Amino acid sequence: MAVALLLRAGPRLLIRDPGALGWEVLPWESGPSEEDPLPAGAIRILGRLSATTEIEVGSESLRRAVERLGRRARLAGSETIRRARATIPVPTDARERRFLIDLARARLEEALRDPDEVLIALAREEERVERALGRERNAALEFGRGGDPNVAAYAGRWARFRDLFEQHHRELSAELERAAQRVLPNLTQVVGFRAAARLLAQAGSRAALGRMRSARLQLLGSKRRPSPERGPKYGILYRGERMEDVPPARRGAYARSLAALAVIAARADVHTGRPVAPELKRRRDRRVESLRRGTRA
Amino acid sequence: MPRPSLFRPTQRHPSLWSRPEERYPTYWVETLGSLPPTHGERWSAARGRTVRHFDPYRSKLAAAIARGWEGDLPAVGEHWLYLGAASGTTASFVADLVGPTGRVYAVERSLRPFGRLISAAERWPNLLPILADARRPREYVDWVPPVAGIYLDISQPDQVEILRENARFFLQDRGRALVALKASSIERGVPPAQHARRAAEALAVEFRVGAPLSLAPFHRAHYFLDLNRSPASSDSGPSARRSTRGSGSPGPRPR
Ligand SMILES: C[S@@+](CC[C@H](N)C(=O)[O-])C[C@H]1O[C@@H](n2cnc3c(N)ncnc32)[C@H](O)[C@@H]1O
Repeated sequence: MAVALLLRAGPRLLIRDPGALGWEVLPWESGPSEEDPLPAGAIRILGRLSATTEIEVGSESLRRAVERLGRRARLAGSETIRRARATIPVPTDARERRFLIDLARARLEEALRDPDEVLIALAREEERVERALGRERNAALEFGRGGDPNVAAYAGRWARFRDLFEQHHRELSAELERAAQRVLPNLTQVVGFRAAARLLAQAGSRAALGRMRSARLQLLGSKRRPSPERGPKYGILYRGERMEDVPPARRGAYARSLAALAVIAARADVHTGRPVAPELKRRRDRRVESLRRGTRA
Repeated sequence: MPRPSLFRPTQRHPSLWSRPEERYPTYWVETLGSLPPTHGERWSAARGRTVRHFDPYRSKLAAAIARGWEGDLPAVGEHWLYLGAASGTTASFVADLVGPTGRVYAVERSLRPFGRLISAAERWPNLLPILADARRPREYVDWVPPVAGIYLDISQPDQVEILRENARFFLQDRGRALVALKASSIERGVPPAQHARRAAEALAVEFRVGAPLSLAPFHRAHYFLDLNRSPASSDSGPSARRSTRGSGSPGPRPR
Protein backbone atom coordinates (compact mmCIF):
# COMPACT_ATOMS: atom_id res chain seq x y z
CA MET A 1 0.00 0.00 0.00
CA ALA A 2 1.40 3.36 -1.03
CA VAL A 3 2.24 5.89 1.66
CA ALA A 4 3.25 9.49 1.09
CA LEU A 5 5.28 11.17 3.82
CA LEU A 6 5.23 14.90 4.55
CA LEU A 7 7.66 16.45 7.00
CA ARG A 8 8.18 20.06 7.84
CA ALA A 9 11.74 21.31 8.30
CA GLY A 10 11.45 24.91 9.47
CA PRO A 11 10.94 27.06 6.38
CA ARG A 12 10.79 24.02 4.09
CA LEU A 13 8.46 21.16 3.35
CA LEU A 14 9.76 17.69 2.50
CA ILE A 15 7.53 15.36 0.55
CA ARG A 16 8.10 11.75 -0.39
CA ASP A 17 5.59 10.84 -3.06
CA PRO A 18 5.54 7.05 -3.50
CA GLY A 19 4.90 7.53 -7.21
CA ALA A 20 8.03 9.63 -7.70
CA LEU A 21 11.67 8.98 -6.96
CA GLY A 22 13.14 10.45 -3.83
CA TRP A 23 12.14 13.60 -2.06
CA GLU A 24 10.77 16.96 -3.05
CA VAL A 25 12.08 19.84 -0.97
CA LEU A 26 9.81 22.88 -1.25
CA PRO A 27 10.38 26.29 0.27
CA TRP A 28 7.65 27.12 2.76
CA GLU A 29 7.99 30.74 3.58
CA SER A 30 4.69 32.04 4.78
CA GLY A 31 5.47 31.65 8.50
CA PRO A 32 6.60 31.81 11.06
CA SER A 33 3.51 30.11 12.34
CA GLU A 34 2.43 26.58 12.91
CA GLU A 35 -0.85 27.07 11.09
CA ASP A 36 0.63 28.09 7.74
CA PRO A 37 -1.26 26.83 4.69
CA LEU A 38 0.73 24.37 2.58
CA PRO A 39 2.82 25.87 -0.22
CA ALA A 40 1.31 25.73 -3.72
CA GLY A 41 3.80 23.07 -4.89
CA ALA A 42 2.66 20.75 -2.14
CA ILE A 43 -0.99 21.23 -2.99
CA ARG A 44 -0.21 20.20 -6.56
CA ILE A 45 1.64 17.07 -5.43
CA LEU A 46 -1.14 16.09 -3.04
CA GLY A 47 -3.64 16.58 -5.84
CA ARG A 48 -1.74 14.07 -7.98
CA LEU A 49 -1.77 11.36 -5.32
CA SER A 50 -4.24 8.58 -5.95
CA ALA A 51 -7.16 8.36 -3.56
CA THR A 52 -5.81 5.14 -2.05
CA THR A 53 -2.43 6.60 -1.19
CA GLU A 54 -2.17 7.12 2.54
CA ILE A 55 -0.61 10.26 3.89
CA GLU A 56 1.67 10.35 6.91
CA VAL A 57 2.86 13.60 8.45
CA GLY A 58 5.35 14.59 11.13
CA SER A 59 3.28 16.85 13.35
CA GLU A 60 -0.24 17.77 14.40
CA SER A 61 -0.06 21.15 12.72
CA LEU A 62 1.00 19.56 9.45
CA ARG A 63 -1.86 17.12 9.78
CA ARG A 64 -4.27 20.01 10.21
CA ALA A 65 -2.79 21.72 7.14
CA VAL A 66 -3.33 18.56 5.05
CA GLU A 67 -6.82 17.97 6.38
CA ARG A 68 -7.82 21.52 5.55
CA LEU A 69 -7.33 20.40 1.93
CA GLY A 70 -9.80 17.58 2.43
CA ARG A 71 -7.28 14.71 2.65
CA ARG A 72 -6.95 12.49 5.67
CA ALA A 73 -3.54 12.15 7.24
CA ARG A 74 -2.06 10.29 10.19
CA LEU A 75 0.99 10.92 12.35
CA ALA A 76 4.16 9.10 11.33
CA GLY A 77 6.05 7.26 14.09
CA SER A 78 9.16 8.72 15.64
CA GLU A 79 11.40 6.13 14.03
CA THR A 80 9.94 6.76 10.56
CA ILE A 81 10.57 10.47 10.96
CA ARG A 82 14.10 10.04 12.25
CA ARG A 83 15.09 7.69 9.46
CA ALA A 84 13.48 9.76 6.76
CA ARG A 85 15.14 12.96 7.89
CA ALA A 86 18.50 11.20 8.06
CA THR A 87 18.30 10.46 4.33
CA ILE A 88 17.67 14.01 3.12
CA PRO A 89 20.17 16.71 3.89
CA VAL A 90 18.38 19.96 4.57
CA PRO A 91 20.55 23.04 4.64
CA THR A 92 20.88 24.73 7.99
CA ASP A 93 21.29 28.25 6.82
CA ALA A 94 20.59 31.83 7.78
CA ARG A 95 17.04 31.42 6.54
CA GLU A 96 16.36 28.61 8.98
CA ARG A 97 17.87 30.63 11.81
CA ARG A 98 15.82 33.74 11.06
CA PHE A 99 12.70 31.61 10.81
CA LEU A 100 13.25 29.95 14.19
CA ILE A 101 14.12 33.16 16.00
CA ASP A 102 11.03 34.88 14.60
CA LEU A 103 8.94 31.87 15.55
CA ALA A 104 10.39 31.93 19.07
CA ARG A 105 9.44 35.61 19.43
CA ALA A 106 5.96 35.03 18.09
CA ARG A 107 5.41 32.11 20.45
CA LEU A 108 6.69 34.02 23.44
CA GLU A 109 4.41 36.95 22.63
CA GLU A 110 1.47 34.65 22.15
CA ALA A 111 2.21 32.88 25.43
CA LEU A 112 2.38 36.19 27.25
CA ARG A 113 -1.09 37.09 25.95
CA ASP A 114 -2.50 33.84 27.24
CA PRO A 115 -3.73 34.14 30.86
CA ASP A 116 -3.01 30.43 31.49
CA GLU A 117 0.61 30.80 30.41
CA VAL A 118 1.02 33.93 32.47
CA LEU A 119 -0.35 32.12 35.50
CA ILE A 120 2.08 29.26 34.89
CA ALA A 121 5.00 31.66 34.61
CA LEU A 122 3.94 33.46 37.80
CA ALA A 123 3.56 30.15 39.63
CA ARG A 124 7.10 29.08 38.70
CA GLU A 125 8.50 32.46 39.61
CA GLU A 126 6.75 32.55 42.97
CA GLU A 127 8.00 29.07 43.77
CA ARG A 128 11.56 30.06 42.96
CA VAL A 129 11.35 33.19 45.10
CA GLU A 130 9.74 31.29 47.95
CA ARG A 131 12.56 28.77 47.91
CA ALA A 132 15.23 31.47 47.84
CA LEU A 133 13.51 33.28 50.68
CA GLY A 134 13.43 30.07 52.71
CA ARG A 135 17.19 29.73 52.25
CA GLU A 136 17.67 33.34 53.33
CA ARG A 137 15.63 32.83 56.48
CA ASN A 138 17.54 29.69 57.40
CA ALA A 139 20.86 31.39 56.79
CA ALA A 140 19.74 34.29 58.98
CA LEU A 141 18.77 31.92 61.78
CA GLU A 142 22.18 30.29 61.65
CA PHE A 143 24.00 33.61 61.65
CA GLY A 144 25.59 34.30 65.04
CA ARG A 145 23.62 36.77 67.12
CA GLY A 146 26.57 37.64 69.38
CA GLY A 147 27.09 40.95 71.12
CA ASP A 148 29.72 42.23 68.72
CA PRO A 149 28.54 45.60 67.34
CA ASN A 150 29.97 44.97 63.87
CA VAL A 151 28.16 41.67 63.62
CA ALA A 152 24.97 43.31 64.86
CA ALA A 153 25.25 46.15 62.35
CA TYR A 154 25.84 43.69 59.56
CA ALA A 155 22.91 41.53 60.63
CA GLY A 156 20.72 44.64 60.74
CA ARG A 157 21.55 45.62 57.18
CA TRP A 158 21.03 42.08 56.04
CA ALA A 159 17.63 42.01 57.75
CA ARG A 160 16.59 45.15 55.86
CA PHE A 161 17.46 43.56 52.54
CA ARG A 162 15.54 40.50 53.56
CA ASP A 163 12.52 42.66 54.34
CA LEU A 164 12.65 44.02 50.82
CA PHE A 165 12.79 40.50 49.51
CA GLU A 166 9.81 39.52 51.69
CA GLN A 167 7.97 42.52 50.34
CA HIS A 168 8.71 41.39 46.78
CA HIS A 169 7.42 37.94 47.62
CA ARG A 170 4.19 39.38 49.07
CA GLU A 171 3.57 41.43 45.95
CA LEU A 172 4.31 38.50 43.71
CA SER A 173 1.92 36.34 45.76
CA ALA A 174 -0.81 38.94 45.51
CA GLU A 175 -0.45 39.01 41.74
CA LEU A 176 -0.42 35.23 41.63
CA GLU A 177 -3.61 35.16 43.68
CA ARG A 178 -5.43 37.55 41.34
CA ALA A 179 -4.31 35.58 38.30
CA ALA A 180 -5.33 32.25 39.84
CA GLN A 181 -8.78 33.59 40.79
CA ARG A 182 -9.30 34.72 37.23
CA VAL A 183 -8.09 31.59 35.48
CA LEU A 184 -9.15 28.87 37.93
CA PRO A 185 -11.83 30.35 40.18
CA ASN A 186 -13.24 27.08 41.51
CA LEU A 187 -9.93 25.32 42.04
CA THR A 188 -8.50 28.38 43.76
CA GLN A 189 -11.31 28.42 46.29
CA VAL A 190 -11.02 24.72 47.02
CA VAL A 191 -7.24 24.24 47.33
CA GLY A 192 -5.94 27.82 47.65
CA PHE A 193 -4.32 30.03 45.04
CA ARG A 194 -0.75 28.83 45.46
CA ALA A 195 -1.62 25.15 45.12
CA ALA A 196 -4.06 25.86 42.27
CA ALA A 197 -1.43 27.77 40.28
CA ARG A 198 1.25 25.15 40.91
CA LEU A 199 -1.07 22.35 39.88
CA LEU A 200 -1.66 24.11 36.57
CA ALA A 201 2.09 24.72 36.10
CA GLN A 202 2.90 21.11 36.84
CA ALA A 203 0.14 19.78 34.59
CA GLY A 204 1.58 22.00 31.85
CA SER A 205 -1.67 23.28 30.34
CA ARG A 206 -5.33 23.85 31.09
CA ALA A 207 -6.29 20.91 28.89
CA ALA A 208 -3.89 18.57 30.71
CA LEU A 209 -5.24 19.76 34.06
CA GLY A 210 -8.80 19.12 32.89
CA ARG A 211 -7.90 15.51 31.99
CA MET A 212 -6.12 14.78 35.23
CA ARG A 213 -7.46 11.98 37.43
CA SER A 214 -7.61 12.30 41.15
CA ALA A 215 -4.86 9.77 42.01
CA ARG A 216 -2.49 11.57 39.67
CA LEU A 217 -3.42 15.02 40.87
CA GLN A 218 -2.89 13.97 44.48
CA LEU A 219 0.77 13.16 43.75
CA LEU A 220 1.39 15.94 41.26
CA GLY A 221 4.63 17.74 42.05
CA SER A 222 5.85 15.03 44.37
CA LYS A 223 9.58 14.61 43.93
CA ARG A 224 9.44 10.98 44.92
CA ARG A 225 8.55 8.07 42.78
CA PRO A 226 5.19 6.43 43.37
CA SER A 227 5.51 2.99 44.91
CA PRO A 228 2.87 0.64 46.26
CA GLU A 229 4.14 0.47 49.84
CA ARG A 230 6.07 3.55 50.81
CA GLY A 231 5.05 5.87 48.03
CA PRO A 232 4.44 9.58 48.55
CA LYS A 233 1.01 10.72 49.76
CA TYR A 234 1.01 14.20 48.35
CA GLY A 235 3.00 16.67 46.28
CA ILE A 236 1.70 20.16 45.69
CA LEU A 237 -1.43 19.43 47.72
CA TYR A 238 0.73 19.40 50.82
CA ARG A 239 0.37 23.16 50.56
CA GLY A 240 -3.36 22.82 49.95
CA GLU A 241 -5.99 24.77 51.83
CA ARG A 242 -6.60 23.66 55.45
CA MET A 243 -3.85 20.99 55.38
CA GLU A 244 -2.38 22.48 58.54
CA ASP A 245 -5.70 21.96 60.36
CA VAL A 246 -5.42 18.20 59.90
CA PRO A 247 -3.43 16.02 62.34
CA PRO A 248 -0.15 14.96 60.66
CA ALA A 249 -1.06 11.28 60.69
CA ARG A 250 -4.23 11.99 58.68
CA ARG A 251 -2.75 14.30 56.08
CA GLY A 252 -2.37 11.58 53.49
CA ALA A 253 -6.07 10.79 53.85
CA TYR A 254 -6.92 14.46 53.59
CA ALA A 255 -4.75 14.83 50.46
CA ARG A 256 -6.75 12.01 48.87
CA SER A 257 -10.08 13.69 49.60
CA LEU A 258 -8.80 17.10 48.59
CA ALA A 259 -7.54 15.66 45.29
CA ALA A 260 -10.99 14.23 44.55
CA LEU A 261 -12.61 17.63 45.17
CA ALA A 262 -9.86 19.42 43.24
CA VAL A 263 -10.53 17.29 40.16
CA ILE A 264 -14.20 18.33 40.18
CA ALA A 265 -13.26 21.98 40.63
CA ALA A 266 -10.60 21.87 37.90
CA ARG A 267 -12.98 20.23 35.42
CA ALA A 268 -15.58 22.88 36.11
CA ASP A 269 -12.98 25.61 35.51
CA VAL A 270 -11.71 24.01 32.33
CA HIS A 271 -14.93 22.79 30.77
CA THR A 272 -18.14 24.35 32.08
CA GLY A 273 -17.18 27.43 34.08
CA ARG A 274 -19.98 26.63 36.56
CA PRO A 275 -19.44 27.84 40.13
CA VAL A 276 -19.12 24.55 41.98
CA ALA A 277 -16.75 25.82 44.66
CA PRO A 278 -19.22 26.63 47.48
CA GLU A 279 -20.50 23.07 47.63
CA LEU A 280 -16.98 21.60 47.32
CA LYS A 281 -15.71 23.84 50.10
CA ARG A 282 -18.48 22.61 52.38
CA ARG A 283 -17.48 19.02 51.65
CA ARG A 284 -13.83 19.88 52.19
CA ASP A 285 -14.50 21.50 55.56
CA ARG A 286 -16.69 18.63 56.73
CA ARG A 287 -13.84 16.28 55.85
CA VAL A 288 -11.37 18.37 57.86
CA GLU A 289 -13.67 18.27 60.88
CA SER A 290 -14.12 14.53 60.74
CA LEU A 291 -10.39 13.91 60.38
CA ARG A 292 -9.81 16.15 63.37
CA ARG A 293 -12.30 14.28 65.49
CA GLY A 294 -10.73 11.05 64.35
CA THR A 295 -13.99 9.66 63.01
CA ARG A 296 -14.40 8.32 59.53
CA ALA A 297 -16.57 10.38 57.26
CA MET B 1 42.24 40.18 33.40
CA PRO B 2 44.64 37.24 33.04
CA ARG B 3 47.57 37.57 30.69
CA PRO B 4 46.65 35.98 27.35
CA SER B 5 49.94 34.15 26.99
CA LEU B 6 48.87 31.92 29.87
CA PHE B 7 46.10 30.26 27.89
CA ARG B 8 47.04 26.91 26.46
CA PRO B 9 45.24 25.00 23.75
CA THR B 10 43.85 21.62 24.78
CA GLN B 11 43.99 18.47 22.75
CA ARG B 12 40.39 17.56 23.20
CA HIS B 13 38.84 20.49 21.38
CA PRO B 14 40.18 23.35 19.23
CA SER B 15 38.00 25.92 21.01
CA LEU B 16 38.79 24.74 24.53
CA TRP B 17 41.68 26.42 26.31
CA SER B 18 43.11 25.84 29.73
CA ARG B 19 44.94 28.13 32.05
CA PRO B 20 47.03 26.80 34.90
CA GLU B 21 46.09 28.28 38.25
CA GLU B 22 47.35 27.67 41.75
CA ARG B 23 45.83 24.23 42.24
CA TYR B 24 43.78 23.29 39.20
CA PRO B 25 43.61 24.56 35.68
CA THR B 26 40.62 26.66 34.68
CA TYR B 27 38.95 26.11 31.32
CA TRP B 28 38.01 28.73 28.78
CA VAL B 29 36.09 28.49 25.53
CA GLU B 30 36.68 30.61 22.50
CA THR B 31 33.42 32.41 21.86
CA LEU B 32 31.41 32.75 18.68
CA GLY B 33 28.91 35.10 20.21
CA SER B 34 29.33 38.81 20.51
CA LEU B 35 30.09 40.39 23.85
CA PRO B 36 28.91 41.08 26.47
CA PRO B 37 28.93 37.54 27.79
CA THR B 38 25.65 35.79 28.56
CA HIS B 39 25.68 35.74 32.34
CA GLY B 40 28.46 37.99 33.54
CA GLU B 41 31.16 35.34 33.26
CA ARG B 42 34.83 36.37 33.08
CA TRP B 43 36.30 36.76 29.64
CA SER B 44 39.52 37.72 28.01
CA ALA B 45 40.43 38.93 24.56
CA ALA B 46 43.78 38.81 22.89
CA ARG B 47 45.13 38.46 19.37
CA GLY B 48 41.72 38.35 17.82
CA ARG B 49 40.40 35.63 20.10
CA THR B 50 37.85 36.04 22.84
CA VAL B 51 37.60 33.33 25.44
CA ARG B 52 34.97 32.99 28.16
CA HIS B 53 35.53 31.28 31.49
CA PHE B 54 33.82 27.90 31.55
CA ASP B 55 32.88 28.04 35.22
CA PRO B 56 32.18 24.66 36.85
CA TYR B 57 29.84 26.31 39.36
CA ARG B 58 27.73 27.80 36.58
CA SER B 59 27.71 24.96 34.12
CA LYS B 60 27.41 21.24 34.70
CA LEU B 61 29.36 20.49 31.54
CA ALA B 62 32.23 22.60 32.86
CA ALA B 63 31.90 20.80 36.18
CA ALA B 64 32.20 17.42 34.44
CA ILE B 65 35.45 18.59 32.82
CA ALA B 66 36.75 19.89 36.13
CA ARG B 67 35.91 16.53 37.72
CA GLY B 68 38.05 14.74 35.17
CA TRP B 69 35.49 13.56 32.64
CA GLU B 70 37.43 12.72 29.49
CA GLY B 71 34.69 11.80 27.03
CA ASP B 72 34.02 13.49 23.74
CA LEU B 73 32.87 17.08 23.83
CA PRO B 74 30.38 18.32 21.25
CA ALA B 75 32.54 18.55 18.14
CA VAL B 76 32.93 21.15 15.42
CA GLY B 77 30.15 20.96 12.84
CA GLU B 78 27.77 18.79 14.86
CA HIS B 79 24.10 19.46 15.49
CA TRP B 80 22.95 19.18 19.11
CA LEU B 81 19.57 19.22 20.74
CA TYR B 82 19.76 20.93 24.11
CA LEU B 83 16.84 20.21 26.48
CA GLY B 84 16.33 22.59 29.41
CA ALA B 85 18.41 25.45 28.06
CA ALA B 86 17.14 28.01 30.61
CA SER B 87 18.64 31.38 29.63
CA GLY B 88 21.39 29.77 27.58
CA THR B 89 24.41 29.68 29.87
CA THR B 90 25.68 26.22 28.99
CA ALA B 91 23.87 26.16 25.66
CA SER B 92 26.00 29.12 24.51
CA PHE B 93 29.14 27.16 25.35
CA VAL B 94 27.88 24.14 23.43
CA ALA B 95 27.21 26.52 20.54
CA ASP B 96 30.83 27.73 20.79
CA LEU B 97 32.05 24.13 20.70
CA VAL B 98 30.09 23.09 17.61
CA GLY B 99 31.26 26.25 15.87
CA PRO B 100 29.75 28.20 12.97
CA THR B 101 29.01 25.08 10.92
CA GLY B 102 27.25 23.38 13.82
CA ARG B 103 23.86 24.07 15.35
CA VAL B 104 22.34 23.98 18.82
CA TYR B 105 18.57 23.60 19.02
CA ALA B 106 17.77 24.85 22.51
CA VAL B 107 14.45 23.83 24.06
CA GLU B 108 13.10 25.62 27.13
CA ARG B 109 9.55 25.86 28.40
CA SER B 110 9.67 28.62 31.04
CA LEU B 111 8.81 32.02 29.66
CA ARG B 112 11.17 34.13 31.70
CA PRO B 113 14.43 32.38 30.91
CA PHE B 114 13.19 31.91 27.36
CA GLY B 115 13.13 35.67 26.78
CA ARG B 116 16.79 35.76 27.70
CA LEU B 117 17.50 32.70 25.57
CA ILE B 118 16.16 34.60 22.55
CA SER B 119 18.59 37.45 23.26
CA ALA B 120 21.46 34.98 23.51
CA ALA B 121 20.35 33.43 20.21
CA GLU B 122 20.48 36.85 18.56
CA ARG B 123 24.16 37.03 19.46
CA TRP B 124 25.16 33.43 18.70
CA PRO B 125 24.82 32.64 15.00
CA ASN B 126 24.20 28.95 15.61
CA LEU B 127 21.96 28.91 18.70
CA LEU B 128 18.27 28.35 17.93
CA PRO B 129 15.67 28.87 20.65
CA ILE B 130 12.53 26.71 20.82
CA LEU B 131 9.73 27.37 23.31
CA ALA B 132 8.37 23.91 24.10
CA ASP B 133 7.99 21.20 26.68
CA ALA B 134 10.69 18.55 26.32
CA ARG B 135 8.08 15.95 27.25
CA ARG B 136 6.37 16.56 23.90
CA PRO B 137 8.97 16.23 21.14
CA ARG B 138 6.15 16.03 18.58
CA GLU B 139 5.72 19.77 19.13
CA TYR B 140 9.17 20.58 17.79
CA VAL B 141 9.69 17.78 15.30
CA ASP B 142 8.95 20.38 12.61
CA TRP B 143 11.96 22.44 13.66
CA VAL B 144 14.66 20.01 14.76
CA PRO B 145 16.62 17.76 12.35
CA PRO B 146 18.38 14.54 13.39
CA VAL B 147 21.24 15.43 15.72
CA ALA B 148 24.63 14.03 16.66
CA GLY B 149 23.99 14.63 20.33
CA ILE B 150 21.38 15.43 22.95
CA TYR B 151 22.29 17.44 26.03
CA LEU B 152 19.75 17.14 28.83
CA ASP B 153 19.62 19.23 31.98
CA ILE B 154 16.08 19.56 33.25
CA SER B 155 15.98 18.22 36.84
CA GLN B 156 12.64 16.47 36.52
CA PRO B 157 11.73 13.12 38.06
CA ASP B 158 11.03 11.71 34.57
CA GLN B 159 14.27 12.99 33.01
CA VAL B 160 15.30 9.50 31.83
CA GLU B 161 12.02 8.97 29.98
CA ILE B 162 12.29 12.44 28.43
CA LEU B 163 15.73 11.59 27.08
CA ARG B 164 14.53 8.31 25.60
CA GLU B 165 11.58 9.84 23.85
CA ASN B 166 13.69 12.61 22.34
CA ALA B 167 16.31 10.11 21.22
CA ARG B 168 13.60 8.21 19.34
CA PHE B 169 12.72 11.28 17.34
CA PHE B 170 16.06 12.99 16.89
CA LEU B 171 19.21 11.07 17.76
CA GLN B 172 21.25 9.75 14.85
CA ASP B 173 22.21 6.08 14.80
CA ARG B 174 25.61 6.69 16.29
CA GLY B 175 24.52 9.67 18.30
CA ARG B 176 25.40 10.35 21.89
CA ALA B 177 23.93 12.10 24.86
CA LEU B 178 25.28 14.05 27.79
CA VAL B 179 23.01 14.18 30.80
CA ALA B 180 23.19 16.27 33.94
CA LEU B 181 21.16 14.09 36.23
CA LYS B 182 19.57 15.49 39.33
CA ALA B 183 19.57 12.68 41.83
CA SER B 184 18.16 14.26 44.97
CA SER B 185 14.88 13.52 46.65
CA ILE B 186 13.42 11.34 43.93
CA GLU B 187 12.81 8.52 46.28
CA ARG B 188 13.13 8.49 50.02
CA GLY B 189 15.85 6.31 51.49
CA VAL B 190 17.75 5.94 48.23
CA PRO B 191 21.08 7.78 48.28
CA PRO B 192 21.78 9.99 45.24
CA ALA B 193 24.68 7.84 44.02
CA GLN B 194 22.44 4.81 43.90
CA HIS B 195 19.74 6.74 42.17
CA ALA B 196 22.23 7.82 39.52
CA ARG B 197 23.33 4.22 39.03
CA ARG B 198 19.73 3.13 38.58
CA ALA B 199 19.16 5.81 35.97
CA ALA B 200 22.30 4.61 34.18
CA GLU B 201 21.03 1.03 34.26
CA ALA B 202 17.65 2.06 32.92
CA LEU B 203 19.38 3.76 30.00
CA ALA B 204 21.66 0.81 29.29
CA VAL B 205 18.86 -0.75 27.23
CA GLU B 206 19.47 1.57 24.32
CA PHE B 207 22.78 3.23 25.18
CA ARG B 208 26.27 2.33 26.15
CA VAL B 209 26.55 4.13 29.45
CA GLY B 210 29.62 5.30 31.32
CA ALA B 211 29.69 5.24 35.12
CA PRO B 212 27.84 8.22 36.62
CA LEU B 213 30.26 10.98 37.59
CA SER B 214 29.50 13.02 40.68
CA LEU B 215 29.54 16.78 40.07
CA ALA B 216 30.16 17.64 43.75
CA PRO B 217 31.31 20.03 45.07
CA PHE B 218 30.18 22.19 42.15
CA HIS B 219 26.61 20.88 41.97
CA ARG B 220 25.33 18.89 44.91
CA ALA B 221 23.48 15.61 44.22
CA HIS B 222 24.08 15.99 40.49
CA TYR B 223 25.65 13.35 38.30
CA PHE B 224 26.93 13.46 34.78
CA LEU B 225 26.20 10.65 32.36
CA ASP B 226 27.92 10.09 29.05
CA LEU B 227 25.85 7.93 26.70
CA ASN B 228 26.43 6.46 23.28
CA ARG B 229 23.71 4.95 21.18
CA SER B 230 25.03 1.54 20.28
CA PRO B 231 24.78 1.10 16.51
CA ALA B 232 22.97 -2.21 16.84
CA SER B 233 20.38 -1.20 19.38
CA SER B 234 18.23 1.01 17.22
CA ASP B 235 17.05 -1.84 14.95
CA SER B 236 17.44 -4.97 16.94
CA GLY B 237 16.96 -4.58 20.63
CA PRO B 238 18.18 -7.95 21.92
CA SER B 239 21.46 -7.96 20.02
CA ALA B 240 22.46 -4.57 21.37
CA ARG B 241 26.18 -4.39 21.89
CA ARG B 242 27.55 -4.56 25.36
CA SER B 243 29.25 -1.64 26.97
CA THR B 244 32.82 -1.48 25.79
CA ARG B 245 33.64 2.07 26.58
CA GLY B 246 33.41 4.18 29.64
CA SER B 247 32.55 1.31 31.94
CA GLY B 248 35.78 1.59 33.87
CA SER B 249 36.96 4.51 35.93
CA PRO B 250 35.75 7.86 34.71
CA GLY B 251 39.28 9.17 34.64
CA PRO B 252 41.43 11.08 37.06
CA ARG B 253 39.64 13.45 39.35
CA PRO B 254 41.00 16.43 41.15
CA ARG B 255 40.35 16.58 44.94
C1 LIG C 1 18.87 23.33 35.82
S1 LIG C 1 18.08 24.39 34.65
C2 LIG C 1 19.12 24.28 33.23
C3 LIG C 1 20.41 25.09 33.30
C4 LIG C 1 21.10 25.11 31.95
N1 LIG C 1 21.15 23.79 31.36
C5 LIG C 1 22.51 25.65 32.04
O1 LIG C 1 23.41 24.90 32.50
O2 LIG C 1 22.73 26.76 31.63
C6 LIG C 1 16.69 23.41 34.17
C7 LIG C 1 15.79 24.07 33.13
O3 LIG C 1 14.95 23.09 32.57
C8 LIG C 1 13.69 23.67 32.31
N2 LIG C 1 12.71 22.59 32.22
C9 LIG C 1 12.22 21.83 33.21
N3 LIG C 1 11.33 20.95 32.73
C10 LIG C 1 11.27 21.15 31.40
C11 LIG C 1 10.52 20.55 30.34
N4 LIG C 1 9.67 19.55 30.58
N5 LIG C 1 10.70 21.01 29.09
C12 LIG C 1 11.57 22.02 28.83
N6 LIG C 1 12.28 22.62 29.79
C13 LIG C 1 12.15 22.20 31.06
C14 LIG C 1 13.47 24.61 33.47
O4 LIG C 1 12.55 25.61 33.11
C15 LIG C 1 14.88 25.15 33.70
O5 LIG C 1 15.09 26.34 33.01
